[in-house]
Amino acid sequence: MKECAQLAPLYEEFALGVLEGEERAELEAHLARACDVCTPGVARARGVVAQLAGLAPDAQPPASVKAKILRAATGSPAPTEAQKIPARRAVFPAWAWAAAAALALVTGYAVRQMQVLTSQLADLRRQMRIAENQNRALLDQIEIGRQVAAIVISPASKALKLMPTDTKMPMVVAYLHPQMGVALSAGQMPAVPSARTLQLWSVPKKGQPLSLAIFRPDAQGQVTIIAPVKMPMEEIALLAVTEEPAGGSPQPTSAPAWKAQVN
Amino acid sequence: MLLAVVQTWPEEDGPSDAALMARVLHRDSRALELLYDRYSRLVYSLVLRIAQQPASAEEIVQDVFLQIWRNAKRYQAARGPLGPWLFTVARNRALDFLRLKREKQRRREDPEDFSILPAAVASPDPEGALDQARRGEQVRAQMGSLPEAQRRAIELAFFEGMTHSEISAAMGEPLGTVKSWIRGGLLRLREVLGEGFA
Repeated sequence: MKECAQLAPLYEEFALGVLEGEERAELEAHLARACDVCTPGVARARGVVAQLAGLAPDAQPPASVKAKILRAATGSPAPTEAQKIPARRAVFPAWAWAAAAALALVTGYAVRQMQVLTSQLADLRRQMRIAENQNRALLDQIEIGRQVAAIVISPASKALKLMPTDTKMPMVVAYLHPQMGVALSAGQMPAVPSARTLQLWSVPKKGQPLSLAIFRPDAQGQVTIIAPVKMPMEEIALLAVTEEPAGGSPQPTSAPAWKAQVN
Repeated sequence: MLLAVVQTWPEEDGPSDAALMARVLHRDSRALELLYDRYSRLVYSLVLRIAQQPASAEEIVQDVFLQIWRNAKRYQAARGPLGPWLFTVARNRALDFLRLKREKQRRREDPEDFSILPAAVASPDPEGALDQARRGEQVRAQMGSLPEAQRRAIELAFFEGMTHSEISAAMGEPLGTVKSWIRGGLLRLREVLGEGFA
């Protein structure tokens, strides 16, 4: 703790109310223990600082102020602890200012809380929409999986291996069912440029190839699709996959990247 | 150079403050009236300068003098003269009001116009007004001898209730500079004006 001599130059600043932090705390500690050097020192400093009141422009309070004070004083009995009631205010008393400020603070707090809650609610709604979409996607996947499983385990299905023309590409597996359609599955498929797509064709023994599906591998390079066959199985010569412009083509524009003989 | 010490406070014609406070303690309303006559003008001027609103200044003055009446026993003459205590109470009340007002204005909920009234009000007491004006002139003269920025820093502290940091921010000056200005200004004030109530 600082000595009184170190604090003495701060007395006026303390009385003025500008001191902050450690200096203020040090001096307050001295005053709290009724330091017999600092206490009268600060009292004298208050005398110095109070003289700054002389800088205020001269003003005379209305006579009514004096009358009110004397009326309140003479009308009030000797003060007791129980009677320490604030004086009645003529215009807008301090407690009303305090109440108004408190109300404003509470209102501000409530508005802020409402904004926070509204924002949280919006976040929750967004998360719910995302969850709903994920749920739908999951249900779709389950449904696709169920259909794929039904095609794969059906004795009527024909298993096909679509071999890549580029030997670095993975093989694609397909199960062809006369009624349920074709289930096609592959993994480790290369990414397809955004302006391009893969297209599955059924190539009949006679006539033009028929588009069965347009698809792209997912981010993990996985492909699982089900597509209708659109023609009798016995008429299909082969299944082929080509790379086409995004949106697909009415007819293949490139040589098959994968193909499998059906009949 | 040490200038002549100027007494800026009301002369104690008649009973001393301490004697009047002793009478107030015994519920002598005449003593309260004499104290009011002695100090109300300066207290009101100070409070009005801070609060900038006559109606509120009147209420604060009313509160301050009724506090003297109701809590006279809290005043301890041994701890210093009445004047600084009275002005400290009045200034603190006015600054509390000012802070509340600013908080309200900050929240854009203050419908009142605080700029419609002049700081000074015509006085029905020409002699008292002359004394008051003379005292004010003496303090202003001493403060006027300080550099503008130094004077401004002290006024921000006294009338606006700002701390060192707040003044530094308000004036855009380094904290150390502000501290130096205020400390130097107050020491000069003490040298020149004395302790006022001693």
